[in-house]
Amino acid sequence: MKILVVEDEDKTGMFLQQGLNEAGFNTDLACNGIDGLHLALTQVDAYDLIILDVMLPGLDGWKVLETLRLSGRDMPVLFLTARDQVEDRVKGFELGADDYLVKPFAFSELLARIRSLLKRTRITPEATVLTVADLELDLLRRRVSRAGIRIELTAKEFSLLELLMRREGEVLSRSLIASQVWDMNFDSDTNVIEVAIRRLRRKVDEPYGLKLIHTLRGMGYVLEVSDKI
Amino acid sequence: MKRKLSLIWRLTGLYALVSGFVLLGLSVVIVFSIKQHFFEQDKETLQGKIQLVSSIVSEGVGAGTLPVFADKLKSGLIGHKELLVLVMNEQGVPLYSSGGVTFPLNLIKGKSSVSSPHAITWSAEGQSYRGLVVTKSTIAQPKQPISILVALNINHHELFMSRFQGALLLYVVIAALISGLLGWLAAKKGLLPLYQMRNRALAVTANQLDKRMPVENVPAEISELANALNQMLERLEDAFRRISEFSSDIAHELRTPISNLMTQTHVALSFPRDARTYQSILASNAEEYERLSRMISDMLFLAKADHGLELPSKETIELDKEVADLFEFYDALAEDHNILLRLKGKGEIQGDRLMIRRVINNLLSNAIRYTPTHSTVEVQIEASDKSTLLTVNNVGTPISAEHIPHLFERFYRVDKNRMKGNSERVGLGLAITRAIVVAHNGEISVSSTVERTSFKVTFFKNDSLITKT
Repeated sequence: MKILVVEDEDKTGMFLQQGLNEAGFNTDLACNGIDGLHLALTQVDAYDLIILDVMLPGLDGWKVLETLRLSGRDMPVLFLTARDQVEDRVKGFELGADDYLVKPFAFSELLARIRSLLKRTRITPEATVLTVADLELDLLRRRVSRAGIRIELTAKEFSLLELLMRREGEVLSRSLIASQVWDMNFDSDTNVIEVAIRRLRRKVDEPYGLKLIHTLRGMGYVLEVSDKI
Repeated sequence: MKRKLSLIWRLTGLYALVSGFVLLGLSVVIVFSIKQHFFEQDKETLQGKIQLVSSIVSEGVGAGTLPVFADKLKSGLIGHKELLVLVMNEQGVPLYSSGGVTFPLNLIKGKSSVSSPHAITWSAEGQSYRGLVVTKSTIAQPKQPISILVALNINHHELFMSRFQGALLLYVVIAALISGLLGWLAAKKGLLPLYQMRNRALAVTANQLDKRMPVENVPAEISELANALNQMLERLEDAFRRISEFSSDIAHELRTPISNLMTQTHVALSFPRDARTYQSILASNAEEYERLSRMISDMLFLAKADHGLELPSKETIELDKEVADLFEFYDALAEDHNILLRLKGKGEIQGDRLMIRRVINNLLSNAIRYTPTHSTVEVQIEASDKSTLLTVNNVGTPISAEHIPHLFERFYRVDKNRMKGNSERVGLGLAITRAIVVAHNGEISVSSTVERTSFKVTFFKNDSLITKT
């Protein structure tokens, strides 16, 4: 997966590139709009996704996107901006942007958005049973079992586990979890998510040797077969 | 852009023009009356004379001999040297003329059929005359009509009139100029407060918004304007004060966490440490960053709210349903703390769902935070014709009265020491809550006793507000 990052802020650009490379993407970095557009238009092996800062020297993000779309490039474009104005969002979407992220953002949030944008372009058949190690979640029958033993979960616990399993290996921030599971689309500064995860863990992880749900302090939660923490 | 003539010059011009016109009109009336007066005077004088002359003439002509009536006339006119007399027969042949003057024969002849005296005016050789013409029939036979003219030199009248008119005109011009000048002075003086206001306005800067327009010793109209401007200044000052307070709040609130981060990072970098320590430091930093970022977006929200919050969308919201959803969200947490969540009543309002959720969420999370274990947090919804009331009740240590008026101010913390340990809370939640409630045509209040603390949110229905005001 090839990603182009167009970002004039040196540090941000470098960290984005590093982070994305470590997440398994092949990332190029351009420091201004003109270089970015040039790279996006001339690369033989086209980019799968472009991350575009709005405020860029030379050629701003809007113009880059406009030119790209005019030349028939339809790869997903994700805007990064420090400006949080509704008009900006509207303009971005009108010009054909696929997503919009306001700085400062959690890196895990960016990764999640990138993955969902890339998924959107590929058609993957919906799985009805999610499996991680010996944990199984049956979406149709709404059942969860581990090592063959059924686990009783509340509706919200089920949704939470489903989210974690669907995004296996992705770090999910608390606000993302609150938004996806409870539809709470604002920052709630309580430890509701912590409690919910703790309860889920008690049922899904505690009785078993292999821990699947991990806490990444300062970032969020991840479900994966790993013991790096 | 075409520059308009200044008010002072306009007023000056207007004054001069008006007084000029008025005086000119008056002069015309005066001149006309004087002329009329002279005319009447002359006519009266002449009427007496013409009777005298015509009686002499009619008798004289009747006597048949010219010299006789000429002599009679001459003697009769002694003592009336200024009087000019012309006697003329039907054919226009002068029978008698008091000489030295050219008489306007055509004027006399034309009127000769009239029996009542007729006034004529003429000029000759640079002199003006006014006369009366009368046509009489001779007493003696054969009766024949003769015309008699009696006239006076009215040159002195004319001279007087022309001098008088000249004087009047001069007076009008001067008076117009003077009233213009007075107008200028009056306008200047009248507008003086405006200049003072201008100077005052020039002195108003961001640092000196406390300057006000002079309201005393100014005319009523201008004091109204000054009052209006002062009110504007007051509003501006208030808004400006809020903005600058806001900026200093931001600076202040950002300084502490950034200083923490800086110190922690510097200390961490000063010695080599193992990976776990670094990880833990970075994680702690990340938490702090997240808090900062949340604070910034909260402050942006409040900054926007200061300029009047516009609702992104408006829909019917069932409050009880929203509360139930939030209860579901807090379910696990409440259970952990052994707190019972209870909902009573139902009601709906118009508004933005996300924002209303935020309001309920803020109140609910506060309530849960400050409620001791094994107690209840109760949300009560009451709907009436005019408003919908949402109350969040919880037991717990009451909020002391001194804090109540400040609770909804941003960055206000009830217990500054207790909050220090818990960096999660920055004191914006209730300020945001109030901003949203206000944007929804509502109000929020709080009461706190030993039994319970209640946050009351009242959403007014739009039409009820109209009848209210």
